Amino acid sequence: MKNKTPGYRRKEIIWSLLFIAPPILGFLIFSLTPLITSFGLSFMSWDMFTPAKFTGTENFQYMFADEKFYKSLFNTVFLLLGVPIGMMISMMLAILMNRSLKGISIFRTIYYIPVISPIIAVSLLWQWLLNFDYGIINEFIWNIFGIQGPNWLGDSNWVKPSFIIMGLWGGVGGNMVLYLAGLQGIPSSYYEAAQVDGASRWHQFKHITLPLLSPIHFYVVVMGVIGTFQSFSQMYILAADGGPEYSGATIVYYIFQEAFKYFNMGYASAVAWVLGILIFILTLFQFRISKRWVYQD
Amino acid sequence: MFRKGKWVSLSLTMVLSFMLVLSGCNSGNNSNESNTADSKTDTKTDTQTEATNATPDKDAKSVIEFMGWGGDSEKAVFEKLIASYMKKYPNKKVKYTVVPPAEYYQKLDTLIAAKKTPDVFYAGGAHFNKLVSSGVLLNLESQLSSSEMVDTNNVWKQGLDRYRYDGTTVGKGDLYGLPKDVGPWAFAYNKDLFDKAGLPYPSAKAGEYTWDQMIADAKKITTTNERGKIDTFGVAAYSLESAVWANGGDWVDPASGKITIDTPEFAEAMQFVADLSLVNKVSPSPDDEKAQNGYTRFVAGKVAMFPMGPWDQPGFWDLPFQWDIAAWPASPNTGKTATWLGSLGFVVSKNTEYPEDSFALASYLSLDKDSQKENYVLGQAVPNLIDMAKGEFMEVDKAPKTRQVFIDIIEDYGRPPIEVSSKNTKWLDTFSQDASQVWNGKKTAAEFVKEEQPKLQKLYDENNK
Repeated sequence: MKNKTPGYRRKEIIWSLLFIAPPILGFLIFSLTPLITSFGLSFMSWDMFTPAKFTGTENFQYMFADEKFYKSLFNTVFLLLGVPIGMMISMMLAILMNRSLKGISIFRTIYYIPVISPIIAVSLLWQWLLNFDYGIINEFIWNIFGIQGPNWLGDSNWVKPSFIIMGLWGGVGGNMVLYLAGLQGIPSSYYEAAQVDGASRWHQFKHITLPLLSPIHFYVVVMGVIGTFQSFSQMYILAADGGPEYSGATIVYYIFQEAFKYFNMGYASAVAWVLGILIFILTLFQFRISKRWVYQD
Repeated sequence: MFRKGKWVSLSLTMVLSFMLVLSGCNSGNNSNESNTADSKTDTKTDTQTEATNATPDKDAKSVIEFMGWGGDSEKAVFEKLIASYMKKYPNKKVKYTVVPPAEYYQKLDTLIAAKKTPDVFYAGGAHFNKLVSSGVLLNLESQLSSSEMVDTNNVWKQGLDRYRYDGTTVGKGDLYGLPKDVGPWAFAYNKDLFDKAGLPYPSAKAGEYTWDQMIADAKKITTTNERGKIDTFGVAAYSLESAVWANGGDWVDPASGKITIDTPEFAEAMQFVADLSLVNKVSPSPDDEKAQNGYTRFVAGKVAMFPMGPWDQPGFWDLPFQWDIAAWPASPNTGKTATWLGSLGFVVSKNTEYPEDSFALASYLSLDKDSQKENYVLGQAVPNLIDMAKGEFMEVDKAPKTRQVFIDIIEDYGRPPIEVSSKNTKWLDTFSQDASQVWNGKKTAAEFVKEEQPKLQKLYDENNK
């Protein structure tokens, strides 16, 4: 039974291997190798020129005593506020867009456009919108309320809220599409049955829509948390030096600075691994508690 | 919900999240352009006879890789210089690569790590010190003394000494680079605004114009618009280095490695700069700067006094108002003034295949008469050659009129930028980030420097020993 593989079968195997080779090779070269290398580097001191020196856990000790590490970690955690807010807004948008109106697809497209816009262009756009003196947002606040708006990107208390607002604008469209798909997957018979039983609109939403969207909620939370932990580009453009009093620096920004400004590759790898483990634990935790609230049919 | 699939998906999550974190940090460096300009020289030029004594083996063929940074104007200047170099030495080819300034050191360090170091490239400041300490650069001392192209007596010592380094002190030890330029950070002023306010121009002689006079003049020039906001400022982006040094303070004592920001002289100078906007209201506040920076305001004719380097000249030549440069205002406590003298250098890789030719290219770009002339005519720099800087450069019929100020800074009161004393600038970056508390008035300079000193000392010790 195992002595002969027929010729046509062997040919198929070779072909199939050839087909999966590019992604596997890509993964090995561009993901697995750096992964292993950076793990090794996180226990070394390396400036890219002189040979790496093994330093044991020195990088980690330094990290836990480093003020900037905590600051950037705090900033990143603060940005997580954007995740629940974004969920609410995108769900509301999805409900609004889930109607058979004429031209509804145009509206859906409008809300989706920020998602496909390049982040650098979006950041530069917001830099103008948020300008203290000439920005359209402060101009608007002045005209409507007659008060001077905050110095969005120049005040250490307002930098992070600015990033959250920017993130919402850029992110709700993508989640809206997910929610839309979720909404359309709910059979209308549930609503009809509820109506027969006399349930109000609110009750229908609370007891049918919300629970049946829970797999979407779950997905959005998990991806939102991971995405927030990895945010970098906006900060790189809008707070190039870390923002006032380092209030705009995220942890990935901190890694980038250490790696490509000060060339502490070993230390940067160590921080990257801590970040990776942190994300892993958070995601694991979310999977654990998901059993309690995610409805699976 | 899933039994076996659970661990698969969990480990997949982990791998994916690590992958994104770890691979998210590479920036696309594909925006640089490299171009090889082939030398199609006609063989019967007289340059060959002229160049006989220039390089030892002038007929040997070589290809040199040269990497620099800069915008379009700098690129154009160097393409021109390299073309004329290759015309002079038809067998020497130069491959020139330009990288955007922000990505330059990232690209350079990656090339060095990959053992593909360019033969000749730019380096300066703290990065130069680090490259020497790491053994990346070729020691140019012996070539300097044997070369006939270089007359060290005719080069600014202040520029050349910036590229001597013995591992601890800049200015001592052997030579590892040649200056690309010397960049005196000068004090420019808008003549029209001074005329309008009926004020005499600030003096070009060091020590004559003081902080107090500057504040008094700036107050007369500063005007507000109908909305109550300041429209024209007396001064912007006043150099903290100038203030601190003029007042007798400094950031660090290079001999002992002690951070000295907690001295009264330092605090007083820092407070003076902060008070320009906080108390005297003659300079844009951090908020104003964020909305529109000092450079934009000066160019728009809305700032009377503003710092500039020689490289700003081409941009300022087109301005619709008259301007000139003066000496930096002196501290009333010492009667002295100071500012920084920047410099960038050409360095040679230790692993270059053609050390002589690389040195020849570096010295051509740094010190050749034609190339230096080209440079100053285009408003890029003050010439590295002393006779040229004091001679024809002074006669140029373009602003600034008082070019002597540039020379005074080089010869007299210019100092190396702060970072020149370190290999790693983390401590200095931290200082600038934290200093915003003083600029916005949350803390006084005296409080701030007391708190900041231990923090900076720790960072300095960690990275510069």
